[in-house]
Amino acid sequence: MVGTDQEVLVAGIGEMVVTNNPNAALVAYGLGSCVALAIWDPKARVAGLAHFMLPSGPLTNPPVKFVDSGLPQFFSEFRRRGGDLRRAQMKAAGGAAMLAVMASTLEIGKRNAEALQAALGQHGLRLHNSDLGGKAGRTVQLEGSTGRLLVKSVTSVSVL
Amino acid sequence: MYAPTTSPAASQALERTFERAMGAAGRALAEMSGHAIEVVATEVARTTARHVVDAAGGAGTVVVGIYVGITGSVDGHALLILQPEGARKLAALLLDGFAEPGPLEVDEFGVPSLDELELSALREVGNVTVGAFLNEVGRHLDEPVVVTVPIAVSDMAGAILDGVLADLTVESDDVLAARTSFINNGETIEGAVLVLPRQASLAALTLALGAA
Repeated sequence: MVGTDQEVLVAGIGEMVVTNNPNAALVAYGLGSCVALAIWDPKARVAGLAHFMLPSGPLTNPPVKFVDSGLPQFFSEFRRRGGDLRRAQMKAAGGAAMLAVMASTLEIGKRNAEALQAALGQHGLRLHNSDLGGKAGRTVQLEGSTGRLLVKSVTSVSVL
Repeated sequence: MYAPTTSPAASQALERTFERAMGAAGRALAEMSGHAIEVVATEVARTTARHVVDAAGGAGTVVVGIYVGITGSVDGHALLILQPEGARKLAALLLDGFAEPGPLEVDEFGVPSLDELELSALREVGNVTVGAFLNEVGRHLDEPVVVTVPIAVSDMAGAILDGVLADLTVESDDVLAARTSFINNGETIEGAVLVLPRQASLAALTLALGAA
């Protein structure tokens, strides 16, 4: 998935990566109930990827563990790098129910996806494309040059 | 290597508990399968889940996870993590004499697929292995430790763990981890036993084991 000359920036759980290097690949590995939000400004070529873990909670370190407190941090960093949210494309993936027997876990994936869409709505923004829910893990990769979001699971690869 | 978060004395107490538990797990698996299976905890630590995922090859690495919920005097989650090839070998040992192993099918992503019979055998391995540890824990506590029916999932390590961590994260992402070897006829199958208690349970558990 990653070219040999690409800079690879990895967003671990609760972490975000933002870059204005169009040759970068932004990756979040092994999303289960977590949700990744990818934003890309096609004019400024600024790309960002946030790896949220839970719907709501206080601002923490790492900064985007929670959707509600982490999203403003993510947007702030995106703007600081020269990105403009008004023209940015937004895509999301994750929010799966990995261990269906655990009712609370089942809910967390769904609640993460719902919280993200609601939080974007509060900022007057919406998702342009998404791959949310299901029962399979996902690895996502945002291409800094094109804004394409590759979504890979154990059984499939798709492009958003 | 797992990066430990405890003192050497606490680590030794944990090691002794895992050693006794894995010894019991090996005896139970040997009895069930009719094969000489030894289970050894080669490295034990109280660490973070992230270190365990990294040690398993990273969040995107496909593994087989056998999940067991924990209730009773200790509340939380437990997982046995195996590489797919090792999981299949372990399942074959348990199914020997009951079912012929099917041909190894590898999907287009290079991941060996497991059939329902193999997954069933692995659920039992997880049940026995995690249950042995919790039985050891139960000996040190006043109330019994109860486990849920195990479930087996083949997916990315990070994806299997993040739902469990999300359930605990407002409290802690500390885990008790044991790198575990299943040994049969000189062949070693590597795995990891993870115990993820809620914060209050972790304190009670480590105190009871002398690993606080």
